[in-house]
Amino acid sequence: MNLWRLEWLRLIRTKRIVGLLGVYVFFGFLGPLSVRYMEQILENFGGGVQIVVPEPMAADGIAAYVGNAAQIGLLIAVGVAAAALAFDAKPQMGIFLRTRVASIREIITPRYVVTTVAVVGAFVLGSVAALYESIVLMGSLPVADWALGTLFGSLYLAFAVAVVAAVAVRAKSVLVTVMIVLGVLLVLPIIGIAPAIGEWLPSYLVGAVDGMVRGVAVGEYIRAAAVTLALTAVSLWMAVRWAQNREL
Amino acid sequence: MIETRGLSKAYGKTLALDDVDLDVPVGSVYGLVGPNGAGKTTLLGVLAGLRRATTGSVAIATSRVGVLPDTPLFDTWLTGREVVDLALFMTNGVHDDDRVTTMLEEAGIADAADRAVGGYSRGMLQRLGIAASLVADPELVLLDEPCSALDPLGRREVLDLIARMRGSATVVFSSHILADVQEVCDTVGILRRGRLVFEGGLHELLVGKAQPRYVVRLRPPLEPVVAALSAADWIDEVEIVGPEQVRVGAGNLDLLETRLMPALAPAGAHVVSLSPEAPSLEDVFLEVVS
Repeated sequence: MNLWRLEWLRLIRTKRIVGLLGVYVFFGFLGPLSVRYMEQILENFGGGVQIVVPEPMAADGIAAYVGNAAQIGLLIAVGVAAAALAFDAKPQMGIFLRTRVASIREIITPRYVVTTVAVVGAFVLGSVAALYESIVLMGSLPVADWALGTLFGSLYLAFAVAVVAAVAVRAKSVLVTVMIVLGVLLVLPIIGIAPAIGEWLPSYLVGAVDGMVRGVAVGEYIRAAAVTLALTAVSLWMAVRWAQNREL
Repeated sequence: MIETRGLSKAYGKTLALDDVDLDVPVGSVYGLVGPNGAGKTTLLGVLAGLRRATTGSVAIATSRVGVLPDTPLFDTWLTGREVVDLALFMTNGVHDDDRVTTMLEEAGIADAADRAVGGYSRGMLQRLGIAASLVADPELVLLDEPCSALDPLGRREVLDLIARMRGSATVVFSSHILADVQEVCDTVGILRRGRLVFEGGLHELLVGKAQPRYVVRLRPPLEPVVAALSAADWIDEVEIVGPEQVRVGAGNLDLLETRLMPALAPAGAHVVSLSPEAPSLEDVFLEVVS
């Protein structure tokens, strides 16, 4: 048993990996399906009223997936990450780990990396599902652009998990960690309402896969990607620094 | 093994540790006792590197330190064997199944080793914590109330385990159970409101507090003997302290050693045994901290 295997087992034995994959893949299939058959769905709930909706495009399927992934998916991802990264929430567990490693990085690194791989993996799988179903149901999509957009979305999730890492070592419980991180992640799009600022923020990457399959140039997201990378590094540095200074 | 000088730890305006000069000899079993809130856990936390001293210095002669918190907790979905294996790997960077199995056996949880920790009782968690603390063969072991959740059998096993470490490792353990400290420790530190009010050998502590009293074990009836002894002018105190026990106190031990035996025969006493009353650590502790 080592700290990397510990994190893998945490995902498997607590079934958190099932929750992550389930949510993202479910919305990956549900998004395009609901867009394709929106007219029929609305008619079934409309009590005989005829509802006319615009002809759906394949990109709308991706947009529906992104919308759900950015809300419910992100909520699950933050919860899973907080449960792994708030290792001092129960001080006795923190003592078990801290008194046996030479550096706090040995604890934080596997937790961050394994959680990020799981979250990003689930997001990518969901995105693949959304791509496949959108193409099958509504027509072709530029796969290369989709791939780049998914990469940008993954970068945002890596940033979100890094924020969890930083907050978790200061907060006293998993729940408090989740609440603070969601607060931080929700504030970003609000700040980003001003376009001049928004294009620089990590939250701009949330809709990158949708934007890119609609033809938005990759350069549009480079600034936000660079800022996100930098903020991810800063968050991880803060996580290590704060964890070193924390007393149990 | 451990030396602190002028060690203080403040939480806001409250001093949890106040100018503590601790000296723990290499190879000793050091008992840290004190009332609730005396600073025992804080002191162990500072020694373990989990808390920073506000002022003063801490010198520890080894980096191989095993730490057991008072209520150890582990991820509930790990097995006991995995916890001990992880503890060994994190500390020494090696896997050693035989060593892990040996420690689980010594801690008395070998039968439950492959069960998830979530199903362990508090006593089993305590045993698992002890196994995880000792598996990497530390030179210094810091144990915070190691017997607090154990049944009498478990307590006996843990005390034996600690006693066996004497000489091969230095052990510092805090406890509220003074009988445990008296049984296994050779050195004692008494903390009171963050201050180390006594530190030294257990023998030194107890001998220094010995009272001039004897405990006499007699066949009943005891009352005629008590009446006869009470009439002696050199005896200060006679008290029935058990079904067949009488405590006799005098001005000094010399009086008791020379005059008690001759006084018992005329009183018609059927003496089974008599011996000087040894002060218990509890008596001394209460005197020191009061």
